[in-house]
Amino acid sequence: MLPVGVLTLIGLGCGLLIYFVFIKIPQKVKGIEKTEEINTILPGMNCGACGHPGCFAYAQALAADPDLITKTPCTVVLQDPESLERLEKALGITLDASAMSKKALVHCNGNSETIYHYSGVETCKAAAQLLSGYKKCPYACLGLGDCVEVCPQQGAIFIDPEKNVAIVDTEKCNGCGLCVTECSLNLIELVPAGTKIAFLCNYKPLRNIPGRERCDFGCIHCRKCFKACEDEAIEWNKETALPEFDQEKCTLCLKCIEACEPNTLADFTKVKKEAELVAA
Amino acid sequence: MNELIAIFIGMALINNFILVRYLGLCPFFGVSKKVGNALSMGIAVTFVMSIASLATWLIHHYILLPFDIEYMYIIIYILVIASLVQIIELFIKRTNLALYNAFGIYLPLITTNCAVLGVTFINMVENYSLLGSIVSALGAGLGFTLVLFIMSNIRERLEFADSPKSMKGLPIAFLIAVLLGLAFFGFGGMI
Repeated sequence: MLPVGVLTLIGLGCGLLIYFVFIKIPQKVKGIEKTEEINTILPGMNCGACGHPGCFAYAQALAADPDLITKTPCTVVLQDPESLERLEKALGITLDASAMSKKALVHCNGNSETIYHYSGVETCKAAAQLLSGYKKCPYACLGLGDCVEVCPQQGAIFIDPEKNVAIVDTEKCNGCGLCVTECSLNLIELVPAGTKIAFLCNYKPLRNIPGRERCDFGCIHCRKCFKACEDEAIEWNKETALPEFDQEKCTLCLKCIEACEPNTLADFTKVKKEAELVAA
Repeated sequence: MNELIAIFIGMALINNFILVRYLGLCPFFGVSKKVGNALSMGIAVTFVMSIASLATWLIHHYILLPFDIEYMYIIIYILVIASLVQIIELFIKRTNLALYNAFGIYLPLITTNCAVLGVTFINMVENYSLLGSIVSALGAGLGFTLVLFIMSNIRERLEFADSPKSMKGLPIAFLIAVLLGLAFFGFGGMI
């Protein structure tokens, strides 16, 4: 009984001491009123996506230079109109949240053939060191889930067990970009939130490795999507031989997706529905 | 006086926390990339070690020994050190913002550092006096800072060294740590 009592007392004492110190010491410090104000608006989850070590450091940087928010915005605040409004008021500037809001897009369709049995550490970082991964396509998603580990939003990015590829739930994703830097194969890109057509291949013929080739679901540069588009929303980039999508002109008629024979294109607004299906 | 000097040198060099006792290895590799960061981390650890030694010595002699519950030391020390660091962080944040920025994220990080807990255990086992405990914490902290400073200087230079691709970064840092450890073993048997 005695040890339990002593431990409880010491714990209570420590808690009370912290409480009294919190009350007794000066609440407002000169020069950081603005920082404190901004800090209360920020989410306080210290995810580090803005590039600062924690929300308080970000608030200090914002107080010193309000324009910083256009360069490295806090993506969590951008998703929440209420706190965004408060932050705008605190900083004295107006922001165009819809233009700044981004979503992660994984440029891979999955299903690339496995060419050797990998039994090492279960991370993409280690697997990518061996011949650019164990898939036939050296640009394929390995599906070991480094991006899942780093994602601050639970379940915004996850691995599809059938296709073995990372899939983004566009509703949950807040576009912080942590997975972009984490992906060892550079498959993930931040695209504007209004993106309509997703291009699911990252194959580049630059690195022509014998025995390694594009999978059956990658872009074959046939230009069929370009020809199928009736709204002139697709432009053909001659240098990369890849289609480029104009999101404003696109009416989401999905003709390009029908025309695409290897199924490289997907409806980006529908990706999240697929995500729900896989999750269920 | 001689005893205090012996404790200080013993903790700082002969039984160096990182290279001889193998405590606090995560900051040794995690924060030793830049000299500035390494120094702030070292100073923060020294500071917390001294305060923690003082508090745990008082608790050991006035609570644990009289009630004969010494076996509770681990959980009570962890509790006390964690709340102490919280209070110090609050205090620094509200009173001296420049110092708070200099410590940055390191102050909350070392709440759970094994080196801080280690120095309080060593003080207890060796049965140092109050002054001896604080001197041993200072020595341990300064030894920690010294090794972090040496390592960060070496690693800054290693960035530009022409090491083989597979050895770049952490692998070569591990090898350097081994050589540094060998050098510190040379202090063994001085006292």
